[in-house]
Amino acid sequence: MASTNTLVSLERVTRKFPLDHNAVTALSNVSFHIDPGEFLAISGPSGSGKSTLLNLIGCIDKPTSGRIFIDGTDTSLLTSSQCSLLRREKIGFVFQTFNLIPVFTASENVEYPLLIQGVKTSERRRRVTDALANVGLSGRANHRPDLLSGGERQRVAVARAIVHRPSLVLADEPTANLDTQNATQLIDLMRDLNRTLGLTFIFSTHDQRLLEHTPRIVRLTDGCIISDTHSERFEGASREQVFAASVS
Amino acid sequence: MSKFLLLAFRNVFRNRRRTLMTLLMVGGGVAGLLLAGGYFAFMTRGLREDTIRAGLGHLQIFTTDHFKRDEVRVLDTGIENWRKVAATVNSAPHVRGVAPRIEFYGMVSNGTKAAGFMGSAVDPDAESSLGFSTQLAAGAGRNLSSKSSSDVEALIGAGLAKSMNVKVGDGLTLLAMTSDGALNGVDVQIVGIVKTGIAELDARFLRITLPAAQRLLQSDRVTNLVVGLDSTDNTDVVYTELAPRLHGLPQEMTLKKWIDLATYYNQVHTMFNGIFLFMGLIVFLMVLMASINTLLMAMLERIREIGTMLAMGTPRAWIVTLFMLEATVLGILGAVLGVAGGNLLGWILNISGLHMPPPPGYTVNIQFRVLHVPALMVGSSIMVVLSLALASILPAIRASRLQIAEALAHV
Repeated sequence: MASTNTLVSLERVTRKFPLDHNAVTALSNVSFHIDPGEFLAISGPSGSGKSTLLNLIGCIDKPTSGRIFIDGTDTSLLTSSQCSLLRREKIGFVFQTFNLIPVFTASENVEYPLLIQGVKTSERRRRVTDALANVGLSGRANHRPDLLSGGERQRVAVARAIVHRPSLVLADEPTANLDTQNATQLIDLMRDLNRTLGLTFIFSTHDQRLLEHTPRIVRLTDGCIISDTHSERFEGASREQVFAASVS
Repeated sequence: MSKFLLLAFRNVFRNRRRTLMTLLMVGGGVAGLLLAGGYFAFMTRGLREDTIRAGLGHLQIFTTDHFKRDEVRVLDTGIENWRKVAATVNSAPHVRGVAPRIEFYGMVSNGTKAAGFMGSAVDPDAESSLGFSTQLAAGAGRNLSSKSSSDVEALIGAGLAKSMNVKVGDGLTLLAMTSDGALNGVDVQIVGIVKTGIAELDARFLRITLPAAQRLLQSDRVTNLVVGLDSTDNTDVVYTELAPRLHGLPQEMTLKKWIDLATYYNQVHTMFNGIFLFMGLIVFLMVLMASINTLLMAMLERIREIGTMLAMGTPRAWIVTLFMLEATVLGILGAVLGVAGGNLLGWILNISGLHMPPPPGYTVNIQFRVLHVPALMVGSSIMVVLSLALASILPAIRASRLQIAEALAHV
């Protein structure tokens, strides 16, 4: 059972995918906990189960066995619409390919999570302005995604993921489609948001640039956790110090 | 919701070429319906006014007995004191005049050959004052006149004239049963040859003046009174006004509207409605099938985007609504395009002065005109919007049921 401080808790989670007459095991007996405010990377080679694990934590997939708790809620007991509600209110997503709605402007994309939550127009405007300011894109609010660079698109995606103040932001390979400069800027941005807003970030990556500045790394191979390490750089430091160090 | 509508509207124009093709298809369907319906409306309106002007009038008054039983003797169910009834009717608003009529049957002979006729007797002055016209064949005499010095004038159908081998100015003998049951005859002089446009009627048509018919039939009665109004649209109003006025007369009277007596008009109208409904059904199915294909393609192109929206917690019902909204927007735009295009094409056809060949049973070309009927525009538009909304159900449901993880991994 998840402790009361734990934001995410996985207990012996297994995910198998049927393939012809066999089943492929993407995750096998995975258990770990994530506390609020953590900045955690899930790393591993392609096919190790990183995306599957993020999908399960994000309630967009169900485990074959085991249980996942988000904020104390056993997600295996939730119906499809309850999962949808939980994602809407508590989780923000950042995707490798940005996945912005192409016919919406940057500000409308950021506004979308608030729209489906039924937030009033004036409040939506205020929060969108804040979110775009947080990612440094106030001047690009009225640009459509096709007029933005890759780095800008991913920053819009980050603003969209944080605008409704979720408990948890899940990012699947967020720097994979970015050049070094944009990747570095995005890493700095995510760490800054983690520090200043106290947002919990879980992201999958095998980008060494990102891993170097990540306090906790869960490494997967063939669907199993082979290590769950806290960087020595951040050992013994308070959460605030960790955040400060991570952005230094 | 306005943002959602905006999203739907913008999505419609994501693939402009495909949207244009869909709009052309939907608009073409609407325009086609407007042109066909507008032409049918012109035909039925023309037939209505022709039917009324040919002598049917807007209202007709009979004795109630006329409908209850067959006449034992000629005119024994006719209107006795018809001048008093006519005066009562004439005082009503919108009434332009009243024309008395006698319908009778008999034999016509040229001395060597005899044929049956369907005769009618009219008051030429009353008929002309109401604008009731008899279509004379080109250069074939004149209409009846009440002031004529000749004994008895007659108009006969072109077919009957050909059958009897007579022309304008020739004489014929009419034979008919009188109201007393005796056989009576009268010599008439042909003053005009009539071409009604319907070959079967032309072969039996004969018309004489009312006094001549009363002499032939030995009766002062008339079969019915034909009421002409200032406009066909006032028929119902005048009917409601006149019905009580006809109560309390010595003979019980029945008032009939033109629509109740226009059998041929009703048959044609029903046939046109049937054809139009069939065409509407074809257009509906055409738009439905093509739209399902278009909307399914649009859905398949956006699988990852839909997966993203679902991942962010968008209720599945919203996805269904979004697709239906997009289809509805497409339908509305198509309907607007179709109404504009249909009216423009109709206008061009109207000024081009086209004529259609005569339909079966008719002998004259028919003018091609398209009426702009607002009810048709609204009905066709609603039909295509509905078919688009229906067409969106399948892709909308498929989109809403996507597995999020699979949708996000879709390439």
